[in-house]
Amino acid sequence: AISLARIGSSGINAEYGYTNNLSRSKMLYQRQIEVGRLCYIRLGDNAGKTCVIVDLVDQKRLLVDGPHCGLARQVIRLKNLAITDLKVKIARGCKTNVVRAAVTKEDIANKFLQTSLSKKAESKKAKAALGDFDRFKLRVAKTAHNRKIRSAVRKLKKSS
Amino acid sequence: MKFKCAELKEYEIVGRPLAKNDEKMPVYKMTIFAPDEIVAKSRFWYFLRQLKKVRKVNGEILRQTEMSNTSPTKIKNFGIWVRYDSRSGSHNMYREYRDVSRTGAVTQCYRDMAARHRARPHSIQIMKIETVKAADTKRP
Repeated sequence: AISLARIGSSGINAEYGYTNNLSRSKMLYQRQIEVGRLCYIRLGDNAGKTCVIVDLVDQKRLLVDGPHCGLARQVIRLKNLAITDLKVKIARGCKTNVVRAAVTKEDIANKFLQTSLSKKAESKKAKAALGDFDRFKLRVAKTAHNRKIRSAVRKLKKSS
Repeated sequence: MKFKCAELKEYEIVGRPLAKNDEKMPVYKMTIFAPDEIVAKSRFWYFLRQLKKVRKVNGEILRQTEMSNTSPTKIKNFGIWVRYDSRSGSHNMYREYRDVSRTGAVTQCYRDMAARHRARPHSIQIMKIETVKAADTKRP
C-alpha cells in the first residue's frame, strides 16, 4: 500500500512519530537508518521479508541481512525498504551468524509481527486473496457498517 | 562503442600475436570491463593494437575468463584511474567509488563520467582499479 510504503516520509505518521524525508536524509547516520535497524522490504523479489541493516554502501544502498527470513546477505536500495522502529544490537559489517544470534536473542521476528506495519501488510495480503464471494461478503458488511454510522450521524444532526 | 544496460562484467583476456614458425611469441594479458564477451574481445584488440604491434588478424586470444566477485557481501572503496577524451583533449582522472564489487564500481564510474563529463563509453579507458582502505580515500 502506498501509505504503508513511505514510513517516515512526508506527513505525520502516527506510529513512528513525526518525521519527514528531509529530516531522515539529514539524520542518515543518527536516527532511523543505522546498523542493526530492522527493515521491511516492500518491493522486489524479496518483498514482504524483514531484514537487518548491516552496513551502508552509500546514500541510496544498504547492505542487508535476513537470516531469520532466509534472506541472503545483499545490497538493497533504500527505495525498496520501509524502516521500522525495531533495532538489534550488532556491530557494523558483522557476519551472518552474529546477526542471526542477535535476532533470535531479541526475538525480533515476533516483535515485528506485532507492529502495525506487519499487520497492515497481512491484511493487504488477505484482501488480495479474497474470492468473489468473500468480496461480496465484504461489500455487504461495509454497507451495513456505513449505514449504521450514517443513521447515527443523521440522528445527531436532527437533534442538534 | 559500448552499450550498457546492466552491470559490466570483468574479463581477463590473454592473447598473443600469431607465431609464424616455431618462434616464441610474447603473451599479453589484460583485464577488460565489458557488458559481454564479444565486446570484451573487441576492446582487448583495441587496446593491444594501441600498445603493441599486434592486430586481431595477426593475433589470437588464448584465454578469456569472466572474473567473478571476490566478496560480494563486503563493501569496499575502489580507486579507479581513468583516461577519457573530452571535447578538447584527453585527460587522466582518479575517481573513487564505494561498492560491493569491482564491476559495480566500474559501472558506477562509466555512469558517473557520462553524467558529470558527458564522456561516452568509447572514449573512456579504465587504466587501473584498486581497492582502497577507508583511511586512504581522498574523499572521506
